[in-house]
Amino acid sequence: MMVIILLAFAGLGVRLYVISRDNQDNYQKKILSQQRYDSKTLPFKRGTITDANGTILAASEKVYNVILDCRVMLSDEKSKEPTLAALSECFGLERSALNAYVEANPAAQYYVLKKRLTYEEIEPFLTRKAEQNEAAAKDKEKKTGTINGVWFEEEYIRRYPNNALACDVIGFTGTDNNGTYGLEEYYNDVLNGTNGREYGFLNDDVTLERTTVAAVDGNSLVTTIDANIQAMCEKYLKQFNDEHKDEAREGLGFYDAGVIVMNPNNGAVLAMASYPNFDLNNPRDISEYYSEEEIAQMQENETYFDTLNTLWRNFCISDTYEPGSTAKALTLAAGLESGRIVGNESYDCGGALDIADRHIQCNVRSGHGTLTVSQALEQSCNVAFMKMGEAIGAANMLKFNNIFNIGLRTNIDLAGEARTAALVFNENTLKETELATSSFGQGYNVTMIEMAAAFSSVINGGYYYEPHVVSKIVNSNGDTVKNIEPRVLKQTVSETTSAQMRRYLYMAVAEGTGKSARPAGYAIGGKTGTAEKVPRDHKHYVVSFIGFAPVDDPEIVIYCVINEPNVAAQDHAYYATGIVKNILTELLPYLHISRTEEMTITEQEEADNLLQNLVPPEPEAENPDAENPEGENPGEGTPGEGTPEPPEGENPDAAQQPGTTTGAPLNIVDPVTGELINVVTGEPAEPVHGVEPLPSEQGESNP
Amino acid sequence: MAKRPREVRYGKHNMDYVLLTVVLFLVCFGLLMIYSTSSYVASADYNDPAFYLKKQAVSTVLGFVALFFVSRIPYRVWQRFDYLALIVSAVLVLLLLTPLGVTRNGATRWIDLKIGLTLQPAEVAKLGIIVYLASVIERLEELGKNILRTPKGLAIILVPPTIIAGMIYLISDNLSSAIIVMGIAVAMLFVAVPDYKWFIIIGVVGIALVAAVVLYASGADATSSFRLARVKAWLEPEAYSTDRAFQTLQALYAIGSGGIWGKGLGMSMQKRGFLPEAQNDMIFSIICEELGLFGAMMIILLFVVLIWSCMVIANKTADRFGALLVVGVMAHYAIQVILNIAVVTNSIPNTGITLPFISYGGSSVLFLLSEIGIVLNVSKNCK
Repeated sequence: MMVIILLAFAGLGVRLYVISRDNQDNYQKKILSQQRYDSKTLPFKRGTITDANGTILAASEKVYNVILDCRVMLSDEKSKEPTLAALSECFGLERSALNAYVEANPAAQYYVLKKRLTYEEIEPFLTRKAEQNEAAAKDKEKKTGTINGVWFEEEYIRRYPNNALACDVIGFTGTDNNGTYGLEEYYNDVLNGTNGREYGFLNDDVTLERTTVAAVDGNSLVTTIDANIQAMCEKYLKQFNDEHKDEAREGLGFYDAGVIVMNPNNGAVLAMASYPNFDLNNPRDISEYYSEEEIAQMQENETYFDTLNTLWRNFCISDTYEPGSTAKALTLAAGLESGRIVGNESYDCGGALDIADRHIQCNVRSGHGTLTVSQALEQSCNVAFMKMGEAIGAANMLKFNNIFNIGLRTNIDLAGEARTAALVFNENTLKETELATSSFGQGYNVTMIEMAAAFSSVINGGYYYEPHVVSKIVNSNGDTVKNIEPRVLKQTVSETTSAQMRRYLYMAVAEGTGKSARPAGYAIGGKTGTAEKVPRDHKHYVVSFIGFAPVDDPEIVIYCVINEPNVAAQDHAYYATGIVKNILTELLPYLHISRTEEMTITEQEEADNLLQNLVPPEPEAENPDAENPEGENPGEGTPGEGTPEPPEGENPDAAQQPGTTTGAPLNIVDPVTGELINVVTGEPAEPVHGVEPLPSEQGESNP
Repeated sequence: MAKRPREVRYGKHNMDYVLLTVVLFLVCFGLLMIYSTSSYVASADYNDPAFYLKKQAVSTVLGFVALFFVSRIPYRVWQRFDYLALIVSAVLVLLLLTPLGVTRNGATRWIDLKIGLTLQPAEVAKLGIIVYLASVIERLEELGKNILRTPKGLAIILVPPTIIAGMIYLISDNLSSAIIVMGIAVAMLFVAVPDYKWFIIIGVVGIALVAAVVLYASGADATSSFRLARVKAWLEPEAYSTDRAFQTLQALYAIGSGGIWGKGLGMSMQKRGFLPEAQNDMIFSIICEELGLFGAMMIILLFVVLIWSCMVIANKTADRFGALLVVGVMAHYAIQVILNIAVVTNSIPNTGITLPFISYGGSSVLFLLSEIGIVLNVSKNCK
């Protein structure tokens, strides 16, 4: 008997030894692999991007994935029925499908039922769970099952409440928190925070302890962009596109078009629009521009992503082109500043000039006759400017190109700014002919932001500000982390030159080629541009207008470029000035800049028509204001006009920045607000919006 | 009977302290391991890491009180209760069919004593069978040396345990207890009738039967029967790793991962929700994991010492009844330890057998200690 027992024990001992000898490593791995390390990532919230008024341009929203843990649910058989019932009723899931899954996978612990629900969507379930579990706790006989085994995984998704608004400036971000293009890319690290983690571990007493390392949310950006101005610019670009679609060729109203509105006194970009645009919430959707067959074809020959990249690029900073006559403003400023042009010169234009071996024609073949400096700019006379270029000389020309930062990046805080260093002249390439053509803006390439920044310095008293889009970085509590102050990089021209340039540019609009850019009732300065593209076959043009308003104390610089308008004859700056005029007609009143000029009856009607169209149909109270311009008294106490003094620098203007002006409004403002509501998806969008509460004040203060 | 000369001097002899020491050590070690294995699950389920420990400690204290009293009761008294023990066992098992029966994990194996305690009738039955058989065998032997070998004698000895075992199996669906009851009966018979030829024949037939069942099971469809599926799971545990063989496989992982010296007391990973009933049937695998092969061998050695002491006591005991009582108890321990370790190491199909003194289980420890009390009383009266 004892022998049998001892034999049995010996046998089992050997068995133990064999198990342990043969499988130790293998089983240790198995054990480690089935451990569920009880820790989860707490996602950070990526920072918000708002415009200057607090309108949200981009924000991350917490969403929930519904996860079913069958094993936990089935650990108490009574839980199955109420849990599945609640799931199917609260989330609209097929009950039979749920049952089938649970039957088939009773041990499954991570079954994603629904993805990316908002809190509102999961709230009914949470309420129901609380009620059911309370009832179960009260049930003495333990017959009532609890709702168990369902948990919610948190995640953030990026939402752009204004869809396509300022798409190129903002850029977009997927769930990976990696920004693409624009601010999202440039400020990626600022916007991103640090993930937190919740650890569960067993302490020495083998009880479960939890430690939470909270997530650090990303910082938010306050931009200088004004959503209202941005919307105006985009609206008129789109309007142009709609008018000229399929006109001379199949396709959009132009290849590309961009508008930049800047504050010349601090380099803040108020709006930067381009077309075609795209919906930031759905950046891969190009069905607006291409048919399904075309998309399929693109995917086939692998041009699909090129097309997308082209769409996503910010035309205003990434694309280069020859500036054309708008550069004459820079040439003239260089001449004045270098002293090679005094202002009393006169030029004879015979319609063309022979430089070296080339016969270069003026824009008017028959010639302009004798022109003063001012008239040369007004008429945009190439011959006169070639002569000026000759007077300035190659060395000075290059020096001033450098001073105006032409060929250098502006270092605007947006991703994807193009380098133009190789696209401008240097001392080796700037020969006689090149000097002549570059004096009227042909032969070298610029980006829009380069031109806008250089032009701003010409008219603001000579201060070159680094253009920027973000004004402030705030942390998740709303505390300011960093104020981005305007940066003056250099003095490009003297204040005297600048004042003189403002006068010349005013004349160029008042009397010259830029007439069509002038909004009724306002005195603005500016210069048109009609640049011939390569190949120079007189067919393909980049038309543009760069201007500022008001003349005496510039508050904004506006620059509009249209790459090959879809019209029969492209060489008319009218296409650009028309857009500028429309924008300014709406923009200047929005900025509370009063009308200073007389208006003809036609102009009056035109302006009324434009502005009246903006009045949203619903708010009746606003109509008196919108109709009011009849008896309008434009310049009550406007300081300008009579004393066109050059501004004293940036200080006095700082107070007038459009973003900060929330004082007594003009009658135009609330149509604009109404406009914004249309652009913003739905009304509930932004309670923080600065302009919305205005209409009530208006009726009393204004008429 | 009274005529028979008695050289037994009641209470004049010391108890077997080696046995008592080993039992004390095993019980304390058992409590330690129960805390180690169950604290995680207990804190998760009951928010009290010592939940199982406390319950077991109560049973253990009761068990030692029982041990103390039983060791004071002259063991010959038990002979008066031989038929009664059988009847009580049978009645208690039948009580499972009444509303007093308590069902846990799908099996009705407990009766509610209505004082906050439950009792497993199978444990009572084991003791009952030991007392009954010891008494009956002695009486039959007194009638004549060879009566035991007659069919009638065999029937008197084997039929009641078979009936009890059958009842336990059928009513409480507890195959392991039924096997133990039968095992005790066969072991006691073996000691009483040391007729090796018979037992070798029985052994060979048994092995052949097992082999046949295994062969049949390995070819059969596992879905047809619960027990067949268990056999299948035993043969190929990896193939049933998520359901039937889950517990077995997890136990093997625990044993294998412990190595020679183990992960250290309290360091088991398998007890954290992976190994079901870790504090119960599977406690030996956690011992292997935490204390390694070395610890496991030490525990086996302790059981060998325990059983050896029982054998020594049985050999020294003057009268047949006492010796048979000790043999029955010894057989009970030995069968249970061997089967438990065999299950844990997947040497036999999984059936719920606890490890004596160490596994969690109130009735079990109460009756095991009571049996020790009987053995100790017998040891006092040795030659």
